[in-house]
Amino acid sequence: MEFIVNNESMTLELGSKLGSLLNKGDIICLNGDLGTGKTHFAKGIAKGLLIDEYITSPTFNIVNEYTGRLKLYHFDVYRVNDPDEIYAIGFDEYIFSDAVSIIEWSSYIEELIPDEHISISIEKLPSRGIDFRKIVINHVGDRYNYIEGITL
Amino acid sequence: MKILSIDTATQAASCAVIEDDKLLGEITYNYKKQHSVILMTIIDTLLKNVNTSIDDIDGFVVSKGPGSFTGLRIGMSTIKGLSQGTNKPFVGISSLDALAYNLAYTDGIICPILNALRGNVYTALYVFNGVRLEKLTEYLLISIDELFALIKEYNKPVTFIGDGISIFKENIENSLLDVKLAPTHLNIARAAALGELGLKKLLKGDFDDLFTSAPTYIRKSQAEREYEEKTGKDVND
Repeated sequence: MEFIVNNESMTLELGSKLGSLLNKGDIICLNGDLGTGKTHFAKGIAKGLLIDEYITSPTFNIVNEYTGRLKLYHFDVYRVNDPDEIYAIGFDEYIFSDAVSIIEWSSYIEELIPDEHISISIEKLPSRGIDFRKIVINHVGDRYNYIEGITL
Repeated sequence: MKILSIDTATQAASCAVIEDDKLLGEITYNYKKQHSVILMTIIDTLLKNVNTSIDDIDGFVVSKGPGSFTGLRIGMSTIKGLSQGTNKPFVGISSLDALAYNLAYTDGIICPILNALRGNVYTALYVFNGVRLEKLTEYLLISIDELFALIKEYNKPVTFIGDGISIFKENIENSLLDVKLAPTHLNIARAAALGELGLKKLLKGDFDDLFTSAPTYIRKSQAEREYEEKTGKDVND
């Protein structure tokens, strides 16, 4: 599915719509260049999970934990040199738990990502305007069929 | 000799105090993984209820893995702290050994399995030779199917034990002929069994080093994994 947004609040709203549908143990991979709005999308998801806490990018602490309607693990693996580093923190215990996991820059640790997940890629559309983004949401696995009903 | 033992390698958080050949007390919770929240409280409660001060403890035993990374780290750092603070020795024992020990004098192969996620288990194969527990393999991280293949090579009856049973029960019963599963209450990795094995080591003066000892995590090396991904074959085939 493809969405075109032209401001931050639309990114938030799309994230929030996804967040409100998520189930226990869901895994969301979030990719896109620096400054495309990955963390904003994550903030939207958190809102949809009824998390009140302020969401910050976990670039330096690798993972932040929040509790709302469900528990949320928010990863950012941008600074990782080798998937083994992430494996070693006990990654599997996080992502195969009852919590929702968001993984920013998941492409850096592809070998650790389970086949079944939701993938979101965000891309700038400079030809349309500085704030325009294309957000593509895909999924592998029937458990995620519910995302097909998302509209903006 | 009075020892304090903890096992946090699995979902269970377990603590025991053993004096020589008597288990004075044990607290075990097998409810969610919340070791960092409840472990210290469990230790404190247990010591109080058996009228023991931490200074009365002559040595410590900790699960050294394999198992939950986070769990192992919580256990190891707790025991290292207690060991350093009280200046008493500690020793690490694998929860797999302790689980195998739960099935003392069982005929054939004893196979403890801990859930290692992604269809994998932490395991090792054991036999009782008289009263002695002998390990037939290294500690392994393998898929359940690889484990079945390995067990078939021995052509002996096998008894499974451990928290992996609840996940792989059907799979086990459909894949192996001469197989038994341990009763539920034995499948929890508990500090009493671990402590009993550790106590034997401590009595022999077999201690671990505070600064160099680390949990056993086990992971297939990057090279092995890449080989397997590329060829779809196990590196040992």
